Amino acid sequence: MAVGLLRADSGSISINGLDVRTDALKAKSLTTYVPDYPAVYERLTGLEYLNFIGDVYGVPKAERLERIDTWLEIFELGPAVGNPIQSYSHGMKQKIVLIAAILPAPQVMILDEPMVGLDPRASHSLKEMMRRHCEAGGTLFFSTHIMEVAERLCDRIAIIHKGRLVACGTMEELRRIDKEQQSLEHIFLELTET
Amino acid sequence: MRTFLALLRAGLKSNFGLSVLRHRLLRQKKDVWMVPLVALAGVSVAPILYYYFQLLKFVYDLLAPIGQQAALLSFGLMAGQLLILVFGLFYVISAFYFSKDLDVLIPLPVRPFQVMLSKFAVILANEYLTISLIVLPVLVSFGALGGKGPGYWIEAALVYLLLPVIPLALVSALVLVLMRFVNLGRRKDALIIVGSLLLIVLAMAFQFWINRSTRLEPDSEALVRFFSSPDGLLQRVGSSFPPSVWAAKALARGLSAAGLGQLLLYAGVSLLLLVGMAAGAEALFYRGLVGLAETSRRRRGLTRSEISRRISSGRRPVRTLFLREWRLMNRTPIFLLNGTLTVILIPAMILVMARAGSTDSDLTSLFRMLSSGNALLSVLVSAGFMTVCGSLNGTASSALSREGSQFWISKIIPVSPRHQAAAKFLHSYLVAFLGIVAASAVLLGQLGIRPAVVVPALGLALAATFILTAAGLAIDLARPLLDWINPQKAIKQNLNVVFALLIDLGFLALLGFSCRFLGRLGLAADAILALLGLLLACLAALSWHLLGQFAEKRYPAIEV
Repeated sequence: MAVGLLRADSGSISINGLDVRTDALKAKSLTTYVPDYPAVYERLTGLEYLNFIGDVYGVPKAERLERIDTWLEIFELGPAVGNPIQSYSHGMKQKIVLIAAILPAPQVMILDEPMVGLDPRASHSLKEMMRRHCEAGGTLFFSTHIMEVAERLCDRIAIIHKGRLVACGTMEELRRIDKEQQSLEHIFLELTET
Repeated sequence: MRTFLALLRAGLKSNFGLSVLRHRLLRQKKDVWMVPLVALAGVSVAPILYYYFQLLKFVYDLLAPIGQQAALLSFGLMAGQLLILVFGLFYVISAFYFSKDLDVLIPLPVRPFQVMLSKFAVILANEYLTISLIVLPVLVSFGALGGKGPGYWIEAALVYLLLPVIPLALVSALVLVLMRFVNLGRRKDALIIVGSLLLIVLAMAFQFWINRSTRLEPDSEALVRFFSSPDGLLQRVGSSFPPSVWAAKALARGLSAAGLGQLLLYAGVSLLLLVGMAAGAEALFYRGLVGLAETSRRRRGLTRSEISRRISSGRRPVRTLFLREWRLMNRTPIFLLNGTLTVILIPAMILVMARAGSTDSDLTSLFRMLSSGNALLSVLVSAGFMTVCGSLNGTASSALSREGSQFWISKIIPVSPRHQAAAKFLHSYLVAFLGIVAASAVLLGQLGIRPAVVVPALGLALAATFILTAAGLAIDLARPLLDWINPQKAIKQNLNVVFALLIDLGFLALLGFSCRFLGRLGLAADAILALLGLLLACLAALSWHLLGQFAEKRYPAIEV
């Protein structure tokens, strides 16, 4: 809903004060998104896809070149970027989608299970990037089933159970829910016990 | 058998989207508005069917006095079988080797022949629908006009059910052998394009040959010999594909020994080929699949300077989106064949047909006649021909559907729906323009139509195609088919493409009737053309405006 894939039945969503329904284009230009499955244009090459994203987000050539160069090297995707995406493995597709999400240097990034399919090195680089993005004042909203990652990376954590928000807050605030439970995994199990 | 039936049930449900349709219609109540639209599309076919039945009756009445009416059967059955033979290749290759459900089916504990036969049966079901409009009226006309009894109708049902089996089995056998013994895995795109074009060329050559071979000898003795047998014309028409002759003879001779003998031959060969194909599938099917997941890639990666050179310096969004449409369409073989290439193939086929029949072929004569006679009619027919060549392809009416599961990208990018629709429109219109240019070249070069006729016709065709492109796009905006696993479904088996074709034909018929009406009012040809041009220009401007508005409304509503 935040990125416009689904329509809200009720309520509203704002990104940097912009209503995603009434100010959709402005909100979208501040946001990038990585889906849980990297379904991208398989008949384009990796570089053509990155150029496409750069064009629609209006990224200047110099910045585009610098960011693509940096992230191709970090994700070791340089040798494959001229090949059609259909020749990529799942992990490589995930990497190209991640680079495309980083390319516009958005204020808000929404990532759905971004670590799935990544090798440990790429996963580590991604986590570093996520941390840096937040330290630079950006917002990163991501979903994960790996509690350790959420506990280590996130400033605020929300727990959703069967479609309902059951808890939301900093790690400290979540610990206050049950003082005996110290890890996020235990808090999660406690809160979602049926 | 139970396993096969389970596979078949799953295949049919997935192919026709039955479960999804039921869910959307009954649970979500989302596609309810489709029901009257489908009914309307069905009703709009009625006039075409009426004229087809009239034509069949005319031919029957013409042939009956000389005892050659069975040729009608052989014509109808052969047309259906040849259609399957030529276009079945698309279905067979993509269903057997390139559909994404194979990843799920291959690991299952089922035999290769069961998987293949279930897929074969799904294609069969599609073919029954494809050929129904051509073949069923022939069978019905022959039975009704000849006052046939129940035996004929039972036989006709059997013949119809078996009709696609022989051509599809032949194509399947060819594909099975090709995929097993020629290592085309890495060049599968080339295989589909080259194979399909080759079959189309063969079909054209066949047409050429038929035109030559069906000309009757002029001497009277030969004519008497030819018409002395009731099967003379039947045999002649169907001689290029014998199974059509067997089926036609079986129906013509009814439940007599000779008729049943032909039916037995026809059914026996169908069954034999089916069994042979199943045996072949057991040995060849999975081996041909090995390596198909591989795709060609460069041996060497791009250097840093090459990457730098290829990074664009910021195009405008509409241009970027247009480029995306162009690349995705032309790099996906099924889309290329059914979109960009179709617009050139139709004029090319007309060209071959005109040439095949030498200078005095019916088609050439028709156009020459139109050219030399009524100026208004010449312009209108030429414009209609150009519009048909430009519009009768699924580019606009599958513009959103072709994105499939990648549509999420269009939903999240910061480009307005109006601009996204504009890029898709420009791409579809360019494809249509190629068709119009090819048609103009055929009219000028082969059919010798004067530029004074072609130029105004070109103007009318460009305006009419503009409107029809917008209409096609609007249909796909209203009901995009995004959940396909086989690209065939996005364009070839997409109902939106059928709706758009019906609208195209209906629109052209309406324009034709309007011009006829204006002519009867006594308006001069130039005045009618000017009025028509003005009307089309106004409609084009209106359709552009409405398309933008509709896109703004629909894009946010389409959920992925």
